[in-house]
Amino acid sequence: MNRYRAWRLIKSILIYLAVILAVILSLAPILYLFITSFKPAELTFAIPPVWVFTPTLQNYRDVFAGGTFTKYFSNSFIVATTTTLIALVLGSFAGYGFARYPFRGNYALRLGSLLPQMLPPITIIVPLYVLFNLMNLIDTQWALIVSYLTFSIPLSIWMATGFFADVPVELEESAMIDGCSRLGAFFRISVPIAAPGLAATAILSFIYCWNEFLYAVILTGRDARTLPVTITSFMTNRAILWGRIAASGSLVLLPVLVFAIIAQRYLVRGLSRGAVKG
Amino acid sequence: MTGLTPSSYICLSIMKSAEATAPPVPAPGRGWLVFKRRMEPVFFISPAFIVIAIILVYPLGYSLWLSFHEWTLRGFRQGVPFVGLQNYVDLFSNPDFLNSLRITASFVILAVGIEFFLGMGLALLLNHDLRGRHFMRAMVLLPMMCTNVVIGLTWRLLLNYEFGLVNYYLGVLGMEPIEWLSKPAMALPAVILVDVWNTTSFVALLLLAGLQALPEEPFEAARIDGASAWQSFVRITLPLLRQTILVVLLWRMIDTFRIFDVIYLLTAGGPARATETVSIYVYRYGFQSFNLGYASAASYIMILVMLVIAAAMARLMGRIEN
Repeated sequence: MNRYRAWRLIKSILIYLAVILAVILSLAPILYLFITSFKPAELTFAIPPVWVFTPTLQNYRDVFAGGTFTKYFSNSFIVATTTTLIALVLGSFAGYGFARYPFRGNYALRLGSLLPQMLPPITIIVPLYVLFNLMNLIDTQWALIVSYLTFSIPLSIWMATGFFADVPVELEESAMIDGCSRLGAFFRISVPIAAPGLAATAILSFIYCWNEFLYAVILTGRDARTLPVTITSFMTNRAILWGRIAASGSLVLLPVLVFAIIAQRYLVRGLSRGAVKG
Repeated sequence: MTGLTPSSYICLSIMKSAEATAPPVPAPGRGWLVFKRRMEPVFFISPAFIVIAIILVYPLGYSLWLSFHEWTLRGFRQGVPFVGLQNYVDLFSNPDFLNSLRITASFVILAVGIEFFLGMGLALLLNHDLRGRHFMRAMVLLPMMCTNVVIGLTWRLLLNYEFGLVNYYLGVLGMEPIEWLSKPAMALPAVILVDVWNTTSFVALLLLAGLQALPEEPFEAARIDGASAWQSFVRITLPLLRQTILVVLLWRMIDTFRIFDVIYLLTAGGPARATETVSIYVYRYGFQSFNLGYASAASYIMILVMLVIAAAMARLMGRIEN
């Protein structure tokens, strides 16, 4: 019995060590980026690496110098917000339809809505580039919003379907017996109940748009540029300005990580509550 | 595109069962009331599909048309001549394109394979009743949320030959520094390493969701019969988890198949095309040489491959749904 206990103790210590190792490996590169962003230029490449130093904001000052960074920050924000709003409205309606009407082909149609999301982005960009060129939309925020809808809408449909399916039908029924129309029941009962889930959907869609690079680098230039493209502009022909890359990268990452942690908690809760098919 | 893609979360919601529940049925009506009720789902669902169709159908048709024509930056003002299947013939006789197919295939197989094994291990670890496991799960998942551009550039710095931390710590362990990104033989492993760092936790999360949904009884029965942990993993867990595993693998294949930004920022497809995946190949022909007909033809090959994987997945999920 004692040997059995000792073995169990060793086993659980090993499990903790392995998980902690995974956490460290996951976080180290992100922490390294944050630390580098506060390093004075002469220490950026120091080998062996210097971990104790007087932090400086010089890299951040360099990033904001010239004022274009704030403009691109607001571009990113406007594009991500607009896309998310459009996708959320369309996706909520469709998700509700899928969750409430078991018509024939319901599942097949939902699977079909995934196709635009599965297409490799590069294959859509070639024709979109030519078309936006003809329509004089290159380097505008609309070009990005339209292209981002190709992945935002499928995401919103799928997530909203799940959240609306969780809303008890009885609540809607009683509202409709009390004289609510179908649409009234949707807006007054289902949407408020599904609201936290829809908020998580919005956060995820926002993050995807915020992170997107390929469409942005091809479809925008000086005016509509977004943050991921701006970061790469610190790789100049002469040198790669690592300090500025670390600072701007940290600025881009910070809201994402905060949002991600908020949305993740909700998502994992939804997962453990709902039955998972395996 | 890897890591935090919309598909990751759609995949989660696919696995979380979200079946359509029956609608509340109002008293039976006649004539246009019945018609009105029939049209309700159309009213809810069609707007999203109409928008998607407007955005996608024309461009995809247009690029199919382009793939049979010669469109170059120099020539397109004089007209876009029809060349039949010439672009496709050129593609398959172009060693660089065949190379990019090969690179993509090895990348997909190796990256997804490694992520699956590590992810399964991590899922089994996180399935224990650990103190603080919610916190640890959240931390482990952060890499997949990160902006791909930032990931690519951070790792480019970490893997730098002279002043990268990876080589420094290899040196501390007494190993020779490795030319990660500048030597063709090491570049693909380096790119795979970054992708593994990026998405293993996502694979683990999906498998963990599957593990937690498994019934208890078979495991108890096996324990009573004296089966070892390994035996019950191989004989019970894996077979019960089979469909989750297949969905995860196919999903990751679609995602890694189209990878672009991480590779673009790490190596830009180099050195000597050692990491030039099909996406990067299309990018080079489309937006550096502006040979759009040729690039469209290559796109259609990609779409074809994607459709094959998607069809496999649709069949699989149809089976799960029934």
